[in-house]
Formats: sequence, C-alpha cells, structure tokens
Amino acid sequence: MLFFLISAIGRFLNQDNTRDKDLLKRIARKDPVALSLLYDQYNKLLFGLLLSILKKRTEAEDVLQDVFSNIWEKADQYDPDRGTGYTWIVSLTRNKGIDRLRSKVYKEQKKQSTSLDDDNVFHPLFSKENDPLEDTILSNRAEMLRNALELISEKQRHVIQISYFDGLSQSEISDEYNIPLGTVKTRMRDGMMKLREILSGAE
Amino acid sequence: MNEDGNTNFEELCVGFVLNSITKEEELEFKDLLKNASEEQLQLFQDMQSIASEMALLAYDQAPSEKVKEQLLEMAWASVNARTSGSNVHYLSRYRLSAAAAVLFLISSLGLFFFNQNLETDLQDQKEIVAQKESTIRLLETEVERKSELLAVLESRDVDLILMDGLDVNPNGFGKVVWDKDNGQALLQVANMPAVPTAKEYQLWFVINNQPFSAGVFAVNDPTKDNFFKIQEMNQSASEGAFAITLEPEGGSPQPTGDMYMLGAM
Repeated sequence: MLFFLISAIGRFLNQDNTRDKDLLKRIARKDPVALSLLYDQYNKLLFGLLLSILKKRTEAEDVLQDVFSNIWEKADQYDPDRGTGYTWIVSLTRNKGIDRLRSKVYKEQKKQSTSLDDDNVFHPLFSKENDPLEDTILSNRAEMLRNALELISEKQRHVIQISYFDGLSQSEISDEYNIPLGTVKTRMRDGMMKLREILSGAE
Repeated sequence: MNEDGNTNFEELCVGFVLNSITKEEELEFKDLLKNASEEQLQLFQDMQSIASEMALLAYDQAPSEKVKEQLLEMAWASVNARTSGSNVHYLSRYRLSAAAAVLFLISSLGLFFFNQNLETDLQDQKEIVAQKESTIRLLETEVERKSELLAVLESRDVDLILMDGLDVNPNGFGKVVWDKDNGQALLQVANMPAVPTAKEYQLWFVINNQPFSAGVFAVNDPTKDNFFKIQEMNQSASEGAFAITLEPEGGSPQPTGDMYMLGAM
C-alpha cells in the first residue's frame, strides 16, 4: 500500500531506520558499543512507555533492562522485511511491559501497594500537549501522530490510549469503563483504521 | 474473504498490535495470518507501525544510570566469556626472552632516531628564531629611521631644494627637505647607481662657492628611492646649492670625484 505511513513520514523513518538496522546488525555480532548507542537512543522513550504501563520506576527499570538484554540476545532474529527496527524494539518493549503487568506476581504486588501515596508510582499515562522528546526527528513524528489522534473521535481515541498506555485489555476496558465489549472492539478498530487513513495522507 | 471476515481480521489485528485481546483471540489471529492476503499483511504491518509510533507520546523519562551500567556489564561479560574460550598460545621462556630483546632493540633504535630528529628539529628552530630576531632588529631600525624622516617632514617651515642629474648620471634626481629651525634635513635620491667598492656618495652644501660636507651615504638598491637624514645642517644661509659627488669611503674634506647632482636653493 503505497500511500501508507512510509510515504507520509518516510523521510524521518528511513533516516532512523537505517541507523537502527545497522546497530541491530552490530548487536547481533555481539558489539557492546552498538548496544550502548541503541540504549542511548531509545532508553528514555521506552522507559517512559514502560512507566505509563507499569506505573512504578523500579518495575519499569527492571523490564527495560530485560528488554535490552533480550535485544542483545535476539538481535539476530530481527527481520528487516517485517518492519523497522524501531517497530521491533517498541513492540518488544510493550509486550514485555504488558507481560509483567499481567503476571500474577505483579498483580499481587499491586493489590498490596498503596499506590496513590507512593512516590515511586508514576501517574500520568502519556503526553497530550507538550512535547517531552528531546530528539527532533522523534519529536516531529510524535507531533504528526498527536495531530492525527486529534482527528479521530474522542471515544475512539480514549479506548486506544487506555489500551496502549495503561496496558488494559479490551475486556478490562469494558469492565472498568462500563462499555460493552463489542463497542470497545469497534471503537478500537475504527479508530486505528481512521488513524491509518489520516497518516497515509489518503484523506 | 467476505466483508465480515475482513472486519473480524481488522478487529483482531488492531487488538493484537495493541496487546488487548485474549490468548484465544491471539491464536485465532495468528491462524488467520497464515492465509492472509497481501493487503491484510500490509494492514498488519501498518498497524504495527502506528502502534510503535504511539510510544513517541509517552513521557520522556530517564531511567537510573545503573540500568545501563548493568546492561553493559552483562554485554561485556558475555563478549569476554566468548573470547576467553578461544585458543591461547603460550610462548616458551627462550622465545619470550628473544622477543623481549628484539622489542628492546627496536624501541632503543626508535628512541635514538627520535632523539636525533628532535635535535635536528631543535637546531632548525634555533636558526629560525635567530633569523626572525635579525629581521625584527632590521625592522626596528627601519622604523626608527622612518620616524626620524617623518619628524623632518612634519616640521611646518621647511625649504625644498630639487637636484638634477649631471652628465655622469643625467637621469638622477634628488630632493632636500631642510628644516632650518631644527638644523636637520631629509635627502631623497632616485636613479642613482649603486656605489662602487670603497666609494661613497657625499652631499655638499655650497655657499659662496665654498663647499661644506653634509654627510656621506651609499646607494645599495638603485631601483628604489633612497632616503637619508642629514644630521648636521646648522647652516643658516638663504642662498646656495646642494651637490652630490662620488668620494672615497668615509668622505673627503673637499670634493674630489665626479659630480652626480646639483640643485640651487
């Protein structure tokens, strides 16, 4: 599909992707310097994402370390034909974060903690306005996405953001926000399909 | 695939990339992927891209330094573990001594040549410094001389006497700027031949047919105008002439050689 994201923000993506691919190749050859460079590039972004899901710094740091250890071990499994290095890394990070969130041990800890009074707990989910990214290219991409999110309905945006940044499953969203499961699924699907259209520049 | 089937694929795809569907639904989606069309595969890839782009909206938060430290520690340990297993060849005592001796010899030779080079460099630098110092002295003298000449030119009341070349040197040209109040003068000559060995030009002030020496000078570069300061010009005459003759080195009490220039007040 020629008109998708790559055409819209391809310039930025390609620029970063070449670098990421090179670093991942070097990591696959067990180059610790490349791992260090990749860490410097993405640690804040990934840590922010993990914090939004897990809410606790210690947990987020633990998972972040696990993510980069995984990259170190499995960089040779990254297939450039199946997406950018960035997508692979973020996907890995989210999966790890959500796995931790849904683990029995973590759920037990969560029940016992008095999270609202705990300084170690991170409350905000994501950035709605001010751009918190230091990197200009990443910052431009974030701005593009933020604008696209403004163009979908609030209800669609809400379920996508809760799912993404709070790590809630569709059924958890349904229970917690008292929305029928089918509606959650439809809103999520319609919202993401709309985002795809907007980012592709088809509209 | 019909429209319902496609909608189901889209729903599962979105739920999958957002990690928000059940394990059963994940398995169902993975099954669907095996027989997915090109368009559906593209949709999956696009959704993954959008999902990863959403991470950019997360707050930019820095983890503690220890995360990186521990990570790199792990990475280097893993590298070291891989390399420590490789074969190591140990040198015999004899070979070790021989290698050390060769190394010592090479490094000694290297140091010797390095030292030689340093001394040559040092000598070169000293010569350059001496040349520069000499140039500076010449320039300082020149500046001093120019300042003195300028002092004559700056005087408000000066007489200007022009001199023309005579038969010996018809193209010659000269000029005397005379500051009578201060008893000093400036001589400018042009197109004068360089002085022969053991000779010098002598400037004369001639009053009532009586020549008074105003000093000697040498022209070494005839292509340039040459300027000289005449130190003692305490004459107070308002009439007279200036003349230049070629005399033995050091000058003569009376003119003896050829007259090169003459100019009346």
